[in-house]
Amino acid sequence: MGTYILKRIIGSILILLLIMVVTFMLMNAIPGSPFLTEKSTPEQIAMAEAKYGLDKPLYVQLWNYIKNYLHGDLGTSLKMQEGTPVKNIIFHQGKFALSIKLGLLALLVAVCLGIPLGCLAAFYRGSWLDGLLRVVTTIGVAIPTFVLAALLLVVFSVKLKWMPTLSGSLTDAKSYILPVISLSSYYTCYIAKLMRTSMLDAINQDYIRTARAKGVKTKALVLKHALRNSLIPVVTYLGPVTAGIITGSFVVESTFSVPGLGKYFVQCVMSRDYPVIMATTVVLSALVIFAMLVVDIAYKIVDPRITLTTKED
Amino acid sequence: MKNTFAKISPFQVDPEKIMETFDIRDDDFSSASSQEKESMVEMHKSISFWQDAWRRFRANTVSMVALFVFLLCLFFAFIGPKFIPYTYGDQYRTAQKLGPFEYSKSEDIVRSIQDSADAFYATALRPGSLTAISKGSYYIQYGGKTYAFTMKKGAEKCILLLKQNDPEPLQLVSEKDIKDGAYTKYTAIEFTDTPEEDAKELKLIKRVFPHVFGTDSQGRDIMARTMYGARVSIIIGIMAALIVLIIGSIYGAISGLCGGVVDFVMMRIVELIYSVPEVLIVLLLQVVLKEPLQAWFQAHSATSAFVKAMSDLGAGIVSIFITFAVLYWVTMARIIRGQVLQLKKQEYVTAATALGASNARIIRKHLLPNCIGPLVITTCLQIPSAIFLESFLSFLGLGVSAPMASLGSLCSDALETISLYPYRLVFPAIVLTIIVLTLNLVGDGLRDALDPRLKK
Repeated sequence: MGTYILKRIIGSILILLLIMVVTFMLMNAIPGSPFLTEKSTPEQIAMAEAKYGLDKPLYVQLWNYIKNYLHGDLGTSLKMQEGTPVKNIIFHQGKFALSIKLGLLALLVAVCLGIPLGCLAAFYRGSWLDGLLRVVTTIGVAIPTFVLAALLLVVFSVKLKWMPTLSGSLTDAKSYILPVISLSSYYTCYIAKLMRTSMLDAINQDYIRTARAKGVKTKALVLKHALRNSLIPVVTYLGPVTAGIITGSFVVESTFSVPGLGKYFVQCVMSRDYPVIMATTVVLSALVIFAMLVVDIAYKIVDPRITLTTKED
Repeated sequence: MKNTFAKISPFQVDPEKIMETFDIRDDDFSSASSQEKESMVEMHKSISFWQDAWRRFRANTVSMVALFVFLLCLFFAFIGPKFIPYTYGDQYRTAQKLGPFEYSKSEDIVRSIQDSADAFYATALRPGSLTAISKGSYYIQYGGKTYAFTMKKGAEKCILLLKQNDPEPLQLVSEKDIKDGAYTKYTAIEFTDTPEEDAKELKLIKRVFPHVFGTDSQGRDIMARTMYGARVSIIIGIMAALIVLIIGSIYGAISGLCGGVVDFVMMRIVELIYSVPEVLIVLLLQVVLKEPLQAWFQAHSATSAFVKAMSDLGAGIVSIFITFAVLYWVTMARIIRGQVLQLKKQEYVTAATALGASNARIIRKHLLPNCIGPLVITTCLQIPSAIFLESFLSFLGLGVSAPMASLGSLCSDALETISLYPYRLVFPAIVLTIIVLTLNLVGDGLRDALDPRLKK
């Protein structure tokens, strides 16, 4: 177990490094200079580039990034908030915390709602409840996040005026509701579908029949025997969910005007603020990679039969 | 003779007697005729793989309904524009910000008199709006007759009516003379049968067509735009799925068949791409690729038909394709590799190898055709995910660029005015949802039909 985790951590760091290199190359492949505006003269651009070390050869720039990152220095913003350390923008202006809060809440809702709903559907298979849940989840996975977010906004904020239109910095509990619903609905539905299939699979296994024959109560049967065995596909799916929730946050944050990391990333890609792009990519990637790692370890805890060292498809 | 045998041994069988007891005739031992042979074989009509799959798919009501609705969507997107007089880019100046089934002022005026005439005409294709007819020669063809005439001077805010049975069939009516569905004053236009050489044909408008989904702030018909956007989205989905299919299946098959070090390295690459948060890279790729692609289009579109086609699609869409080619084939590759790992141990692969078939031939002739089920299913489910990605990118302002529209860009345009005109979002969003929903359901049905082992 220990060696496996160590191996995975080293692998994750390598992937992160690779993402840094790729991001760096992509950033520099955008034609023109970040300081190019209608008014700027070539001299001004050259001066600005020299100030931030953009005139150095690419490999030197890349090496500087890696060196600084290892020292915990994420550089300073070139454009949007010139001169401000990127670390401050991401961590101290509450952007990171906001996005994380929103994302974790959505993840929590998706898991806490999706799993019981899937279990219910499997348990009452063929009943009206199963039918209803199937319709809802099938439609739920077909509605794009931004459409749902916009519709919720119109219905509950504009027409009914129950919720604030601008969620802002999510200061009160009410402003969380709509963003979290729109961020989590797809994943709630997907997890419910997944859970239903794997629960049905588990219920039809021999050991369940044996347990039932031995007189185990239905509640204990579901919670102890069936649930644990049917959780594996859901746990595997949580890695992609984390990545997806970050993606979804781009849309949700811009629809509800939440000043989070997702919205900020899109803005700084457009304005080519190199250090901020790099830092956001690395932070978000690290988050996703960390989630994948946690999922793989959680895997082992849920199902001890899985041996971690050999990964076979 | 008979009796002698019987006396020798009681166990000796008398052949003649047997023949009598069992009623066997001599010709029973002659070989059967081909006709008799045929009647003995129980004939089953042979059912091909696809027929079998189609039979199972047909039995699945949900998937059949989904398929039907999807075909309706295809009809809406590809043939629908032929039935409405509006186009996705035309701006109807007088018809801005209309709600569903609302008419502009001039459309209302024309509607009030449209039943009194056989047909009416305008110079530009501006259905329902009263436009100017400028100086020049025109002709009209209606009911097998040709009406050719020359406008000596232009006319403003008017409409040309055709009444076949009237003594003066061509009547030019000015807007101010139309009141309460009737008009008192008109200018009769003299016409001949033969049009002049430089004559232009006037477009026929039978009736004012309603703006079923309303119009946007620039006076563009939203239904026409939704049809166009649905077409763009579906094309993007299918193209992206094909790209994923080609790259993923070849990659997976090579990795599975070669095994060993090749497999190890190839699968590490897949794992690497799998763990990259793709949307971050997609966003960067979109921004990076835009300008180089446009430059490339400009340089080569005159000489190469391929580049011309690409440049018609626009840099945004092409970079979506590139993104799919770079990042999204890994799932397909994994699935196909898993299949190939099972298949390559089969005897027919060994036989092919023994006969000296190359790896490329084995993949082409033996492995991929046997993976057809997973290939079709994964490709079909890839289409909605591509449509999702495209709409997501368009929503963020990347993806499809200005004059074009996709369902995603329509939704994102509508968001700016969502509190005033929610229907502008609702219609494209519903079409987008229906397309994704039906494709998901059809994909599920295909999985059940093509891979019955998976069905629970």
